[in-house]
Amino acid sequence: MSTAAAILDLARAWLWIGAAVAALFLSIGIGRIDPDARGAFVFRVLLVPGLLLIWPLVLWRWWRLEKGDRWLPRYRPPSAHASAAAAMSALIMAALVLSYGARQDWPDNIAPRRITEAGS
Amino acid sequence: MSVRYIPVQWNRFKWGYDAALLASVGVFLWAFLRVTPEDLGHERDVSGAIRNARAFGACAFVMLTGILCIGPLARLDTRFLPLLYNRRHFGVVTAAVALTHFSFVLDWYFAFSPAGKYEALLFANTSFTNGVAGFPFEAFGIFALLSLLILAATSHDFWMKFLTPPVWKGLHYLIYPAYAAVVAHVAWGALLDQENTTFAWVVHVGALLVVGLHLGAALSGRDAAKPRTAGWVDAGDPATIPEGRARIVTLASGDRVAVFRHEGALSAISNACAHQNGPLGEGRIIDCLVTCPWHGFQYDVRTGRSPAPFTEKVPTYALRLEGGRLLVSPDADPPGTPQRPVPVHRGRTT
Amino acid sequence: MSERPFFVGYLGLPRGLRFMTLALAVSLLIGGGLLATVIARAKDDPGPGTFRFDYGRQTVTGIVALTPTPILHVTKGSEHIEAGRTLMLSGQGKNGALLRARALEGRLANASGILLTRGDLDMMQLVCGEAGLGPADGDAPMAPEPEDLGRWELAGEICDGKCAAGAMRPGTGIAHKACASLCILNGLPPVFISTRPIEGETFLLIAGTPEDPMPPELYDWVAEYVALKGQIVRHGDLLVLDIDTATLERTP
Repeated sequence: MSTAAAILDLARAWLWIGAAVAALFLSIGIGRIDPDARGAFVFRVLLVPGLLLIWPLVLWRWWRLEKGDRWLPRYRPPSAHASAAAAMSALIMAALVLSYGARQDWPDNIAPRRITEAGS
Repeated sequence: MSVRYIPVQWNRFKWGYDAALLASVGVFLWAFLRVTPEDLGHERDVSGAIRNARAFGACAFVMLTGILCIGPLARLDTRFLPLLYNRRHFGVVTAAVALTHFSFVLDWYFAFSPAGKYEALLFANTSFTNGVAGFPFEAFGIFALLSLLILAATSHDFWMKFLTPPVWKGLHYLIYPAYAAVVAHVAWGALLDQENTTFAWVVHVGALLVVGLHLGAALSGRDAAKPRTAGWVDAGDPATIPEGRARIVTLASGDRVAVFRHEGALSAISNACAHQNGPLGEGRIIDCLVTCPWHGFQYDVRTGRSPAPFTEKVPTYALRLEGGRLLVSPDADPPGTPQRPVPVHRGRTT
Repeated sequence: MSERPFFVGYLGLPRGLRFMTLALAVSLLIGGGLLATVIARAKDDPGPGTFRFDYGRQTVTGIVALTPTPILHVTKGSEHIEAGRTLMLSGQGKNGALLRARALEGRLANASGILLTRGDLDMMQLVCGEAGLGPADGDAPMAPEPEDLGRWELAGEICDGKCAAGAMRPGTGIAHKACASLCILNGLPPVFISTRPIEGETFLLIAGTPEDPMPPELYDWVAEYVALKGQIVRHGDLLVLDIDTATLERTP
């Protein structure tokens, strides 16, 4: 099997597991862990793409909420903006500089040249 | 603020925001696609699918650049907060535009082949080790698109409450590597492809604007120094806190507390809004309720509770006065715990 | 504390922010349109190559040869293809015509399809099955004798001949690299575009082996501007380039 086919099979498996998690979570889980979701059904359709994509995170949070979540971490916003901004800036600059270095001009200045005659 | 979830929460401002956004996207695409080969003196036009892919790709780049500017602009100048208010809709529309770009590319460059187009996308160019020119820049695009789809798919308020705002925001930090990947995707693809350098200028100016604004906001928003001891924290002279406003105090734990003055008395709640961890201390008291500057979530300053029928709660903190100074308890009380307000005038007399 | 107006989304815009927000919306609208126009007007000329649907379906007879990419030395032409020309052959989409051509190597065949032209590059996209390429009645005349033109030093770009001929516009360049590689992998003619004509030809067909229509080392160089050395052989009015892969180098 080619690497490309293997990657696609993995992606398919990921989405199928996500579909199973989505079915379970939207029918049983969501009402257990979020009172605001009880009796609200139309919005659940909007959650399906997210469930397909990040189902491991969903399972982890579902488990934590079933166990009884600690309340304090909920009010501790991440403080990594400066590091994230610096990393993003460095990557952007690297991408642009490398691109500039790789730019080529059509080699119009190189004319075809016969090196050796036929048969030699 | 939620009682029961609905698919999309709209209000008059959001309608206007979305209308302006969609109209701008429409005008961008229309203006891009109306340029004819005759306008440019070309004998033949670019293939339709490539023209469309370029239009949607350029539009997605410009939109993403705009989105990345909103956060730091609002941080540097609060007059930009209206742009932040409905940024999630902006993000969802951007993901849709980027997905359309991807579809045109996939159904053109990677279709019409015996292999499936998704498989072809992965194996057609594998020159990963042969330098920048010719590198499969599509890989950067795939990463960025997946990131945008994850962000768009988790933009409903439910996700914030379910994942908790810190985890949700952590996940949404994906936007930073995603934007860097978009710049690499464009710079190693379209920019190396074109002889004309106009689009290169657009990309450089846009990317450097994002870099400059984010670094500027990071420098201006550095945290206040934390107290060294873990005891009650000095919040200064209580009389200098204006009526209806707050002073933000940083505890030894790094947690931030918003100390509000309301009707001559002081109360302290967590600075992090229950919705998206917005900075409550930068908000104001409206109709006796602390109002978050980001999305307008409201709390009773004495209890940390949203008014009925809403159910959001934030932790509260005990306050006391000592020698004319206001002291904040280092320990948060559970969300929604009532605290006795401390009258300001006592601070002046003791 | 700032005295700026305080914005709460569901309460609507405060008076002090209305003008600025409206101005932002209008500039987004106008600025977006202007920016799109500037970007769209900056596109490079995609070249003159195209499918000649205006000629209609062409049917010709000729001798099939393999380099191993299939080519046809036309012996009996049509309205728009005169006898004596040599055509590269391709299937529909990103499919080569090698499987059909193998059985006909050196034989007289009828080829039918749509012509693609770009400068001195002529290609026929065959219709499906034997209607596109099938045996013709009669003995095959002698195919033009390949003429060795010697070893050359060249500069230009490796691409797939079908897209470059106008099946896609643009059908060359870095943004098109994956598509070009996919086309060549599927048996479409690999082509070298020279900076200047060689013996009157700018588009040279790249020679391969029966196993590999193009030497595998070349895939890393597709769509980049390269300098190289190679042997050139004339087949009819088509030049076939046998690239010495050890001499490949990137031009500045």
